[in-house]
Amino acid sequence: MLAKQSFVWKVAGAAGEGIMTTGLLFSKTCARHGLYIFDYTEYPSLIRGGHNTYQVHTATDPVFAQKNTVDLLIALNKEGIELHLKELSTDSLLVFDTEHQKIEPEKYNLKAKLLDLPMIRLAKESGGEEVMANNVALGASVYLAGLDLTVLNQIITEVFIDKGPKIINLNQQAAQRGYEFVKSKYQPLFTAIKQETSHLTMTGNEAIALGALAGGLQFYAAYPMTPSSSILHFLAAKAREAKIVVKHAEDEISVVNMAIGASFAGARAMVGTSGGGFCYMVEALGLAGIAELPLVIVESQRAGPALGLPTWTAQGDLKFVINASHGEFPRIVLAPGDAKEAFELARLALILAEKYQIPVILLSDKYLSESRFNITLEATTFANNRFGLTTNPAPDQTGFFPRYKLADSPVSLRSTPGTTGGTYIANADEHDEYGLSNEDSNMRTAQVAKRQQKLKEALAEIPFQFWQEEPKAVLTFISFGSTKGPIQGARQTLAGEGIATCHLNLSWIWPFPKDQVQKIVTSYPNVLVVEGNNEGQLASLIAEQTGFMMENKLNRYDGSPFYPEEIVDYVKHSI
Amino acid sequence: MLNIPYSPTWCPGCGNFAIWAALKKGLVDTGYPAEKICIFYDVGCSGNMSSFNNYYGFHTLHGRALPTAVGAKLVNHELKVIVIIGDGGCYGEGGTHFINLMRGNHDVTILVHNNHRYSLTTGQTSPTTDRGVKTKSTPEGVIEEPINPIAIAISNHGSFIAREFAPDISRLSARITQAVNHLGFALIDILQPCPVFNPQQSHQWYRERLVNLEDEGHSPDNREAAWKQAMRAEKLPIGLFFEEQKPAYHQQVNELAEGPLVRRSIDTIDLTSIIKEFK
Repeated sequence: MLAKQSFVWKVAGAAGEGIMTTGLLFSKTCARHGLYIFDYTEYPSLIRGGHNTYQVHTATDPVFAQKNTVDLLIALNKEGIELHLKELSTDSLLVFDTEHQKIEPEKYNLKAKLLDLPMIRLAKESGGEEVMANNVALGASVYLAGLDLTVLNQIITEVFIDKGPKIINLNQQAAQRGYEFVKSKYQPLFTAIKQETSHLTMTGNEAIALGALAGGLQFYAAYPMTPSSSILHFLAAKAREAKIVVKHAEDEISVVNMAIGASFAGARAMVGTSGGGFCYMVEALGLAGIAELPLVIVESQRAGPALGLPTWTAQGDLKFVINASHGEFPRIVLAPGDAKEAFELARLALILAEKYQIPVILLSDKYLSESRFNITLEATTFANNRFGLTTNPAPDQTGFFPRYKLADSPVSLRSTPGTTGGTYIANADEHDEYGLSNEDSNMRTAQVAKRQQKLKEALAEIPFQFWQEEPKAVLTFISFGSTKGPIQGARQTLAGEGIATCHLNLSWIWPFPKDQVQKIVTSYPNVLVVEGNNEGQLASLIAEQTGFMMENKLNRYDGSPFYPEEIVDYVKHSI
Repeated sequence: MLNIPYSPTWCPGCGNFAIWAALKKGLVDTGYPAEKICIFYDVGCSGNMSSFNNYYGFHTLHGRALPTAVGAKLVNHELKVIVIIGDGGCYGEGGTHFINLMRGNHDVTILVHNNHRYSLTTGQTSPTTDRGVKTKSTPEGVIEEPINPIAIAISNHGSFIAREFAPDISRLSARITQAVNHLGFALIDILQPCPVFNPQQSHQWYRERLVNLEDEGHSPDNREAAWKQAMRAEKLPIGLFFEEQKPAYHQQVNELAEGPLVRRSIDTIDLTSIIKEFK
């Protein structure tokens, strides 16, 4: 029998039952075996009682997205079965506990194989409590996935280190019971050969936080808002070790203005929020623009408008972040497509913000922010240069330092408070070279032109965008941000079926990589723009920037990310 | 003399001239190096002072001078941070920041130019306008009760709370020096005549109502007595209502124990230890 190349595991149950930790432990166990993983979570905007799921898609080859069909489903309650009937195939194995839950699997007319696992009883028999039932399921999962129980035990030790040896032992014993119970009855569904690996696994938000630290982040402010909050949690927990200041301020307006104040005083500053919080920040975005202060804003999208679907994903803020604010000023918008890009672009965002003295927006979404990816970092130590800061500013005859000097370069030297001779005014009003309020027509024109010129210079920073090409391609995908993964997953399947395609994923949104996109829309066949919104915002942006209308569009805006399978189906029907 | 390229644009008789004079003297009298004093200006007549002072400054968005000042203080706590703001900016648009800065005892000196009107926008009602007053935006009279910033600050953990009268320049400048030297949140609510848009509350009107807290036997370490003084209706007490010594916000941030954040080098960032948990 041919060993399966990939394995899809899912745990589903009520919020508050430890679903997220259970999923994390299984995912880490897979990754520690040298397997690739992609984890996808779903949860409603509730504290308890809602339905939570954690899916781990693991494989010997790289994985890019979640899957429709699961191989092993751990249902911790009735909803864990009923809400996932379509994900079960004849090859799937459904695990439940009839001793604990009144579950009648026969009534669902299931094709899947069934495994009644007395999770609660085994947890209690092993000396633990009811909440350790998940570890019984984990032990069973490790056996069924052909994984090594000692690896799970090691990860339990690491994750629960703060809870002490007693808790660690009970969790391990529960896992052992689950493992042995299943071993006596079943063959493993998957074979994993343990390999050494340098892969790390992390969520998009963790990658953003680490990338920002690598980029010299010094001050982070935020107000909690899903799906950006885990950046705040991570950085707050690491503040002491990383020697940064993290401030949870009273609202998003305070958050962004604190960050601008910190930037004015010379620190590298970043804020994080979602679309609704970004709405509050927009006036200050313009302030960073006119005062020419570096600022990084992480905007992790969820389905809007207003409160929308608070815990679900979307790519509906693309045009908003490009156009937000009254008036005109330069900004950079970056949209990472996976954890690796999230790390690199968060770091780059801090660098570019300081280099050009402008706001940089890092556009994520729930799907990228909270999904878990493999990532390999080439280094763990990062060097930073500082840009545009003068330590010995000289005032002219006015007594002020010409901070906004009109000269050949649109990026003028910046002094910071505390430095002798550098006195100037950062000003929300239009201003002269010293920052003093000024409404003279020539000065206004010159200062606007100075600022706008920075965007032209930033064009030189645009790297080659993610581009995959196959000979005899019948279709060309264009996407941005996190839709990268599902399209990569779809292309794997399509390639296996002999359907060749190309793929351009944009992670650099503004200034728009016009030349690169134009070349592709004019030279490659059958362009299909895939994006997580209703209006086709990327398609419209491409048309605006290149002059070419994008007729073929695949849009999804129900709160879920794209699944590779639906993209495959769409392509097969459209070619 | 400070060398400034722009001259004030305030109306003749404006209380801002007096506050400006008191500020300049009050700051010099702190003896603090000029480059380490940083002034955050809100929007309004008072905020236009940003172009008349030779100190590092930031003319911010309306109501937002408060958080902007806090951000700068948190990354460089060697700076003396002053906020110049009006009654609209501090008690209206920025009201939530006003309340929350006090809770944190952020080391910021807030000088509220309180003229009971929005005068830069030509005389609408403000949060401190008395009930019943007719203004351009309330031609039938203000329905709301006026805010009592002193009473709010006393109830909400403010650690230095004063009120002064703008035309008493020497008194105000001494209070500003004292407030800047206070470690923590310092509020001076400055009663400021606006002869153009609020002629009713004239110098004479104020003189008939003002009493000095020192003359009333008030002791600024008594919170309850301070609150009673703040609630007086027949007279307007000026002076120091309340002061207490307690650690400022930045003194309680562990990450700042080794000195100002802006001095921490970011030349080399080593994440080796932090990424271990992602294996």
